[in-house]
Amino acid sequence: MTKVRDRTEDFKDSVHRAALNLGYNEFKTATIMASFILQKRRERSPFTKAALKTLESIGALEQFLMTHKKDYLDLRRTTEQERDGIEHEVTVFINSCKEQIDVLKNSINAEESNSKGWLGIRGDNLNADTIAHKHGVVLILSEKLHSVTSKFDQLRAIRFQDAINRVMPKRKLKSGIKNATESSNLQSTEVNNSDVREANEFQAEPIRVQQQVLDDETRALQVELASMLDAVQETETKMVEMSALNHLMSTHVLQQTQQIEHLYEQAVEATKNVQLGNKELSQAIQRNSGSRTFLLLFLFVLTFSILFLDWYS
Amino acid sequence: MALNLRHKQTECIIRMLNLNQTVISPVGAGVGTANEEVYKILIYDRFCQDILSPLIHVKDLRKHGVTLYFLVDKDRKPVHDVPAVYFVQPTQLNIQRIVSDTSKALYDSFHLNFSSSIPRPLLEDLASGSVNSDSIQRISKVHDQYLEFVTLEDNLFSLANKNCYVQLNDPSAGEKEIEEIIEKIVSALFCVLATLAVVPIIRCPPGGPAEMVASLLDQRLRDHLLAKNNLFTEGGNFTSSFQRPILCIFDRNFELSVAIQHEFRYKPLVHDVLGLRLNRLNVKGEKGGMKSFELDHSDPFWMANGSLEFPEVAVEIETQLNKYKKDVEEVNRRTGGNAGAEFDGTDLIGNTKHLMSAVNSLPELTERKQVIDKHTNIATALLGEIKERSLDSYAKMESEMMIRGGIDRNELLSMLRGKGDKMDKLRFAVMYLISTESLSPSEVETVEIALRESEVDTSAFQYVKKIKSLNISLASANSASRSNIVDWAEKLYGQSISAVTAGMKNLLSGDHQLALTRTVDALMEGKPNPEIDSFLVFDPRAPKSTSGSSSSHLKGPFKEAIVFMIGGGNYVEHGSLQDLARSQQPVKHVIYGTTELLTGGEFIEQLAVLGKKMGLGSGDIAPAVK
Repeated sequence: MTKVRDRTEDFKDSVHRAALNLGYNEFKTATIMASFILQKRRERSPFTKAALKTLESIGALEQFLMTHKKDYLDLRRTTEQERDGIEHEVTVFINSCKEQIDVLKNSINAEESNSKGWLGIRGDNLNADTIAHKHGVVLILSEKLHSVTSKFDQLRAIRFQDAINRVMPKRKLKSGIKNATESSNLQSTEVNNSDVREANEFQAEPIRVQQQVLDDETRALQVELASMLDAVQETETKMVEMSALNHLMSTHVLQQTQQIEHLYEQAVEATKNVQLGNKELSQAIQRNSGSRTFLLLFLFVLTFSILFLDWYS
Repeated sequence: MALNLRHKQTECIIRMLNLNQTVISPVGAGVGTANEEVYKILIYDRFCQDILSPLIHVKDLRKHGVTLYFLVDKDRKPVHDVPAVYFVQPTQLNIQRIVSDTSKALYDSFHLNFSSSIPRPLLEDLASGSVNSDSIQRISKVHDQYLEFVTLEDNLFSLANKNCYVQLNDPSAGEKEIEEIIEKIVSALFCVLATLAVVPIIRCPPGGPAEMVASLLDQRLRDHLLAKNNLFTEGGNFTSSFQRPILCIFDRNFELSVAIQHEFRYKPLVHDVLGLRLNRLNVKGEKGGMKSFELDHSDPFWMANGSLEFPEVAVEIETQLNKYKKDVEEVNRRTGGNAGAEFDGTDLIGNTKHLMSAVNSLPELTERKQVIDKHTNIATALLGEIKERSLDSYAKMESEMMIRGGIDRNELLSMLRGKGDKMDKLRFAVMYLISTESLSPSEVETVEIALRESEVDTSAFQYVKKIKSLNISLASANSASRSNIVDWAEKLYGQSISAVTAGMKNLLSGDHQLALTRTVDALMEGKPNPEIDSFLVFDPRAPKSTSGSSSSHLKGPFKEAIVFMIGGGNYVEHGSLQDLARSQQPVKHVIYGTTELLTGGEFIEQLAVLGKKMGLGSGDIAPAVK
């Protein structure tokens, strides 16, 4: 990347020369030059402190996700419970961050409505620009939170995909086994039938018992498979529900972002309106004063003309 | 390594927005702990607003922590706790405003960034102003950003320098004014080279503003390279020509026809007819309201089809629309239309998968639809204008004129009396002047009468006619007017005349290639070629003494080129240079820049201004020699 020309040194030289030109004594010049080096620790307003804290917590959330991403996705490292635990923690964290953002937003609105109660004597802190800036800060925070949430959603989606894929081959395998057992049953029954035909009735009884046993086995397998099918369907509906909830949560965060964006744009509009309003006010004042002088002059002239006429007649 | 100007400029701006600290890598490195100055306010002036608007959107500003952005002129209120990043041009007015802002303590700390190098006197003004108001502690940093140019695409930039052609070719311009203009152009070109971090080899045709710009730029680069901590990568002596690009500087008079001609390709049409400015376009929508569109590198259709002729573009829109409809149908079929199918386990799981993939692909589909809608709107608006002004017939006739070198008299008159607004007719007439080999005065008179019938202001026409007539009596013009005009301006004027002479001869060859493209091709090849042998060479890195012997290796084939046109350029030249670059084996890269992007109409206006300055109003027929 291109290096950029830092002219601060040249600026310092010019400042030094300017101070000498203005006749500042040594002490003053020294203080001025020192102010370049010692940056005063500025007091931050509570709003900024809170905003920075929220930013830090969102950053911590992102880091947490990063470090546990591998564990979460890799099938062998974690169990289902651990994964659920991670999800739970992340959700709690997201909720707390959202609350912090809400608190910040409410504080802006509270300040605005408080100041309106007074006779328009707002402090320096509450002009339109500052309000727009604060809205902007809240918007940035909410956008960041939204991006972290969507990353988390993606991880969850991958997990569900894996789960579905795992279920599918098992079911294929199960149905394969089922078919195999059925075909083997058929084969065995065929063999049995042929045996039966070959064998005579004295062997009918034990063969029928064998058939009975095989039938029972088949039925047991069928029941087992049916129950597994039910379980799978249940899991599937649960996963669909969870993905729907995911989407819901992310849409909520998105909605909040949109609302905040709306507020922010309104605040920026307000700064422009304030400027226009100032212009109109100054115009009105001019006109007002102009018309006032005219009116006074008019009345003056009228009074004197009346006096004159009275004196004359 | 491809020189991507837009990319580099965006990087510089992002670095500036991060208060010129080294950008912390965003992937998992943690945020907020080391960097306390996260939220900032951006303040710019009008010129820098033009620089920023094609590169960054408001949403991206928020990503870098900028909460508010204001114009420097605007009345601003104090906002505590935040640093302010100023990005302004170094002018007296801006410095005064900054000083007043610091004295009013609007913000906590000020980071000042100037779009080009701030000169010493202004820096001292700033220093004395802030010392006076005792607000030194608020100014934390002062930087020179060297970003005083507007990048529209990856390889297209403009200096937004208005009326440059008029000022340079003005016969009454004094030496000081011309020097000022050249100085401005050179400093902006220096900014471009500093952003790209390359020291190119400079070539230009002899004489005229191109030579002046080239020599001054060469001087500037030499001085800068000698100073310590220069901005260009310390690479030692790069003598191999493979690493360095070539910078070709041309003057508008080199090829006048391209700026005036009617073109029928998509990008030039949109620029010419609908007024594309800083990648933004305002079009009357179908319901009657004005809609604003953005056409830049994020629009895949624009990038892919910008250089096609208009009918082909319409066909492309059709195919894209059909493809989109097919995709939408498929998505619908897979997810929604399965109502009648049997519901057993496999289908349900399959449905979920399809649902998820459909939901993921929906945003992409909506985006595609938006792009198609946008271009359909633009194409409809264009079609309306083309039909009304019969631009297709103008374009066809003009290209025929250039190829044939003349035109049938009846055709000419029928065009001038036909459809099209005044500017089109004037452009057509000027093209006729430029392209015809031998002008017969009677034809010219009939053309003028036809123009005056349509109430067209003929000053531009007169100007071009005068230039062409001076072409014949070149020597006498020099000697006759020497007594009246300042020596320097006269030299410039005479040289511009000779350049225009050469430009008149630069007609299109049979394969419809611009003279500019041919020349750049020859320069990049580096083989001896009678067209370019007269071109001068400047190499800022070579020591001053050796100019002839070691220059052989500098003429080798170049892989990258920066082409700069003084006086005005347009999308046609840009398009043809890109075609040239793509058609080469191996693929080369060409960056095209100009002092300002002019449509045909705007350029004719500048010619008209020149004509009026020379006293050639629409009233008199005989050219008045001043």
